Amino acid sequence: MTAAPSDGVELRVGRGTRVVRTVLIIAGALAILLGAWVMVDTVKPKSIWGLLTWLIGAVIIHDGIISPAVVAISVVMRRAGRKVPGGVLAIIQAGVVVGSIFTLVVVPEIIRKAKIPKNPTVLPFDYAPRLALLWAAIAVIVGLSVIVYLRVRARRASKLA
Amino acid sequence: MRELMYGLRRSMTSPNRNARTAVAVGRLLGLAFLICLLTGLYSHFLQEPASWMRFPTRPVSLYRWTQGIHITAGIACFPLLFAKLYAVFPQLFQWPPIKTPLQVLERASIALFVAASLVQIFTGLLNTFQYYPWPFPFKQVHYALAYVIIGSLAVHIGVKLPVIQRYWRARDSYDENGDFIPLADDIVPPSRGHVARERLAALDYDADALRDPDVVFPAEISSAVVESRPPRGFVGRIFDWIDRTPEVEKKTSRRGFIAAVGGTTVGLVALTGGQSITALGPINVFAPRKNGIGPNDLPVNRTAKAAQVLETATDPSWVLTLMRNGEATTFSLDDLEAMPQSAESLPISCVEGWSQMGHWTGVRLRDLVAAVGATETESLRITSLEKKGGYRVTLMGREYVNDPTTLVALQLNGKRLDIDHGYPARMIAPGRPGVLQTKWLSSIEVIA
Repeated sequence: MTAAPSDGVELRVGRGTRVVRTVLIIAGALAILLGAWVMVDTVKPKSIWGLLTWLIGAVIIHDGIISPAVVAISVVMRRAGRKVPGGVLAIIQAGVVVGSIFTLVVVPEIIRKAKIPKNPTVLPFDYAPRLALLWAAIAVIVGLSVIVYLRVRARRASKLA
Repeated sequence: MRELMYGLRRSMTSPNRNARTAVAVGRLLGLAFLICLLTGLYSHFLQEPASWMRFPTRPVSLYRWTQGIHITAGIACFPLLFAKLYAVFPQLFQWPPIKTPLQVLERASIALFVAASLVQIFTGLLNTFQYYPWPFPFKQVHYALAYVIIGSLAVHIGVKLPVIQRYWRARDSYDENGDFIPLADDIVPPSRGHVARERLAALDYDADALRDPDVVFPAEISSAVVESRPPRGFVGRIFDWIDRTPEVEKKTSRRGFIAAVGGTTVGLVALTGGQSITALGPINVFAPRKNGIGPNDLPVNRTAKAAQVLETATDPSWVLTLMRNGEATTFSLDDLEAMPQSAESLPISCVEGWSQMGHWTGVRLRDLVAAVGATETESLRITSLEKKGGYRVTLMGREYVNDPTTLVALQLNGKRLDIDHGYPARMIAPGRPGVLQTKWLSSIEVIA
C-alpha cells in the first residue's frame, strides 16, 4: 500500500463552476424540500418513522456490513492468493461480484414466492434452482476465463523469453 | 485517530477506488436516475393528472416503453450504485471528518442521498413482485423519495463539480504510467512500517530476516529495523498485516472491475427484461413475470378473488350503467354483445414494469358514450365492481374517450374475458397504465 507516485493536484474552481454549483445546490435543496413536503402531506407520521428506520438501516447495512466485508474479502483473497497471478484473482472476484448482485436481486423473489403469492402469474418460476444454475454458469465461465488467461499469459511469457 | 483513518484507507486502496471511477460510474448512474425520474413522473401524472393535463394516445405502446424503461433502468441501478459506493467508500474515513462548516451539509446530503437511493431501488424492486415487507406505503414514499433523491443528486453534483470536471476525461485522470493522479487532499501517506521496509529493501536488507533477534545489523539502520517490525496491539497488527498484502496489478484490476460491473448490468437487464421487452422473452430467467401465461394467455395483476368480485361479476343480472346529466342507461352483457364489435391490439402495461400485447374485441367506447349523448369534450368517471382499492373509481380524460381504439372489451386473445381479466366487461385504452384499465366495469359516468 504505497502512496500515490504523484504529489497530487489541487482543484481549480472557476467562476462559471461557482455559478453552476450554486444553482445546483439551491435547486437541489428545493427539490429535497419538495420531497419532504410531499412526504409529510401524503404519508402518516408513523409511516415516516418507519421509513426513517429503513433509511438508517440501509446505510448501516451498506457502510457497516457489506462494504467492510468486501474490504476484508478482498484483502484475504490477495493474501491467500499471493502466488496466484493477479489476473486470476480479478477474474474470480468479478465472478463473485456478478453472482452476489444477482443473489441480492433474486433472493427476495424466493422469499416472496415461499409466502404463497396471490396469483400464480406473479413469480411463475422456481427462482432458487435458477439462481443455483446461474452460480454454476458463473463458475464455468470463470474457470474457462482463467484457463484462457493463463494460456495467453504463458504464450506471451514464452515469446518474451 | 488520524493514523487509524489512514490505516483504514490504506487497507481499502484499490486502482478502482478513486475519483475517476466515481465520475465514470456516476455519469451512468446519474443518467439512470434521471431516466427513472422522468419515466416515473410520467407514470405518476398519468395516474394522478392535474385537470389540465392531456396525454398522447399514440403510439399505443408508449406506456409499455416508458414504464418498461423505468423498471429496467431501476434494475440496472443495482450494480451501478454498488460500483459507485465501492469507488468512494474510502472517502468515509477522512480525517479530520469535517474540515469546513459546508462539509457538514455535504456529508449530511450524501448520507441522505445514499440512504434514499438504496431504499428506493430495493423497495422498487420488491414492488415489481408485490412484496411489501416495510412499515410505510410504497407508492407515496416512492414518489416523495424521487424528489429527495434527484435533489440530493443535484446538491452532490454541485458540491463535487470541480472534481467531476477534473476527472471527466480518462486522459486527464492517469499519468503516463497509468497511475491515477490523486487530489493533494486525498493522498494517504504510506505507513511508517512500509517506508522502513522500502528503505531496508533499497539497502539490500531483507526486513523479515532482520526480525530475528540474533541477527546483527549496522546501527545506522536500527530505526528502520524497529519500524519495519509489526507494531504491538491488535489493531496495529491487523493494519500491518494488511499493509504487507501484495498490491494488485492496476490494469488487470481495472479490467476486472469493468467486467464485473458491466457484466452484472448487462446480465440483469438481459435476464429480467423479457417481462416487458418481447425480444428478451426467450431468456427471461429471473423476471417476476412471464409473458403468455395465465388466463387468456396474459398474466394477471389483481385477481377477481383479491378484488372480491367473484359473486358480483358472475351475477346474471349484471348491467353496465352509463350516466349523463343524472340519467342512467343500462346495458346488459347481451346488449353489449349485440352492438357492433371492434378488434384492437393494445398492450397491458403494468406500473410494476411487465407488459404484453393483447388482442381485444368489444364495443368502441366512443360509440357507447355517444349512445347516451356524450360530446367530444366530456370525460368519464369509471367505477369497478371491486369492493375496495385505490383504483376502484378512476377518471378518464377525453383524449382516451375519443380515441377510436379504446374499447369496452368483452374478449381477449380470441376468448371471452376470464374473470381475472375483468369479466363481464373491462376498459382497454391506448397508452395507459394497467391500473387504469378498469376491470369488472360497473358504471361509467359522463362528466364535463
